[in-house]
Amino acid sequence: MDIYIGIDVGSVSTNVVAMDQNDHIIFKEYTRTNGQPLESVKKGLKLLEEDLKRIFYTVKGVGTTGSGRQLAGILVGADIVKNEITAHATATVNFHPTVNTILEIGGQDSKIIIIQDKMVVDFAMNTVCAAGTGSFLDHQSERLGVPIQDFGGLALTAKKDVRIAGRCTVFAESDMIAKQQYGFSKAEIIKGLCDALVRNYINNLGRGKALKAPYVFQGGVAANKGIKAAFERELGCEIIIPKYYNVMGAIGAAILAKEYIEVSGEETKFRGFGAAELAFKPRSFECEDCANCCEVIKVELNGKTVAIWGDKCGKWANSVTG
Amino acid sequence: MKVSFPYMGCVTGYKKVFETLGHEVVMPQKPTQKTIDLGVKYSPEFICFPFKVIMGTYIEAVQAGANVIVASGGNGPCRAGLYGEIHQKILKSMGHDVKFIVFDSMFRDFGLFYDNLKKIKNKIPIIKVLKNLWLSYQIICRMDEIEKEIKVLRAYEQKRGDFNRVWLEIQRMYDGCWTQKDIDKVTEQARKMLQEVPLKKVEEEEKIRIGIVGEIYVIMESSTNMDIEQTLNSMGIEVESVQYISDWVKHNIQPNFIGGSKSHQVIHKAKRFVKMNLGGHDMENIGWMVDFKERGFDAVVHLMPFGCLPELITQSAIPTISQELDLPILSLSLDEQNGTANNRTRIEAFVDLVRNKKRGGSVQKKEVKEPEYTDKVPEELAG
Repeated sequence: MDIYIGIDVGSVSTNVVAMDQNDHIIFKEYTRTNGQPLESVKKGLKLLEEDLKRIFYTVKGVGTTGSGRQLAGILVGADIVKNEITAHATATVNFHPTVNTILEIGGQDSKIIIIQDKMVVDFAMNTVCAAGTGSFLDHQSERLGVPIQDFGGLALTAKKDVRIAGRCTVFAESDMIAKQQYGFSKAEIIKGLCDALVRNYINNLGRGKALKAPYVFQGGVAANKGIKAAFERELGCEIIIPKYYNVMGAIGAAILAKEYIEVSGEETKFRGFGAAELAFKPRSFECEDCANCCEVIKVELNGKTVAIWGDKCGKWANSVTG
Repeated sequence: MKVSFPYMGCVTGYKKVFETLGHEVVMPQKPTQKTIDLGVKYSPEFICFPFKVIMGTYIEAVQAGANVIVASGGNGPCRAGLYGEIHQKILKSMGHDVKFIVFDSMFRDFGLFYDNLKKIKNKIPIIKVLKNLWLSYQIICRMDEIEKEIKVLRAYEQKRGDFNRVWLEIQRMYDGCWTQKDIDKVTEQARKMLQEVPLKKVEEEEKIRIGIVGEIYVIMESSTNMDIEQTLNSMGIEVESVQYISDWVKHNIQPNFIGGSKSHQVIHKAKRFVKMNLGGHDMENIGWMVDFKERGFDAVVHLMPFGCLPELITQSAIPTISQELDLPILSLSLDEQNGTANNRTRIEAFVDLVRNKKRGGSVQKKEVKEPEYTDKVPEELAG
């Protein structure tokens, strides 16, 4: 069987998927990045290798995406390195060809992607702060002592509405504390929080855009039933949550890798599952050759420098060839 | 007096102005991280980003011995019109007693303009001053033209960095011009140097052109805009920016009634979207967007310092403009934050969108022909 691997290294989670030539997902793994993107990619690859022992396969292509896409791309030897907006859109269009609006909320950023005839025509990413994202919910679930898995479900049990400011996490938090002291229940506060987050998302990202159904909601936060319900209330229609909602970026990367390989006819640059064992050392240093003090990132593989980036003048980047 | 000025646009030309007037010039340095850090430290927290960077430039210039700073003023509600006064105040509170000469438009107050001119003209007869100014203006015009060309050609360079090297050399060559004859000779040589750089062959229908509009300082100074032009060029995209000092001078000296400069003309094109100018270049920028569309550009990138009032107005008009003109527009807010990952993602996704639109293909079919930027990992600006 020919397989294509997609890796999405985000701020909160690192996801690895494997897809066969017919775009069927045969493996998916969602792990927490925990501030160690490379370790989590290695871990994901090991799990994938274990899982694949049950079949005969050849890895035909690999794609990476997410904010850690470059480093992960070098580690595994990716055929394509793609931004997460294109990757998400590719995956969603593949499963839901009629989609018009993609709502994506991840760990540290949220995006809205407008699709027409399977084509991205507009998009927006959160600009000012992380108020509408997964890490904020994570933090609040911890503060309220409600595990994040139960967070959304609890919101659905609320009987009353509570209005919480959603523009900024600092305001939201002080609002929540104030409402708590008034005697509102945890469920009501969480519901208020979900509403605030959605309101903020629509105001901030949807500003000036004509939002049209069908809506597809994905990213880690799509697991949260409270947010889904809040979106449905706000948009006044049903929201589709794709089956693989939390690994859509990785799936998109796998699809893009497949298309790239199919069209170019190239062999994959995948380093093999042995990549997990390679002595792969990224390090950064401050270049002191001029007052720019660029933070240069240098990646060594088995003692050999394979990539350098981050310098404004290109002196370091150009020193690596091939 | 030891003169310095903001680092913005064609500094070789300004240097020439003061040198021909017999002043010692303390050449301002291209803003670095250190400049920005200095500027941020001594500026009010909520002031615009260009103010902070220029503050840093002045501090460095003063530390290098400058005692007179020549800057431009401005009119309308944009804060830039008062930069000079506040910069001077801050420098004074730091213990640097620096003289500021701020030039406003000569049409607003010719007396003041002439007084300022007298302050810097160094007892040189006015006719000679005008001749010197004309020479410097010629240098600026030629250099701006060449820079414009580079931003197109650099998209197709075979070896990364070729054009940047040539450009540095050309800047040095113009620095040594003292007569019109020198300028002509250097220009000819510069053109030859540009022609000698090997280029990739790209089909006409595959070429992508993006126009850059926005606040003048962040457009002109690459260290404040994450080097957006270079970034786009390295993705194989031609770039044209709307702000050049030569155009700005033309805009401010060529009176409206004799045809007016191009930037006067584009303002008329903005009238279908906004009725009046609200300060800064908001109306001009909207006009440029229309102009880019008319000239067949594929997309526009709009740059603004975070919280810039005039550009916030442009920004809020963008959804309508984009829809009515069927023109993709990406608006980026810039600040001292130097993590580029977020904006990098936006730019890459935007470029995907634009290429896609041009090809009229589906999301699926798009990047296979673009291995030059999809598979090469260490892009210059990635850090």
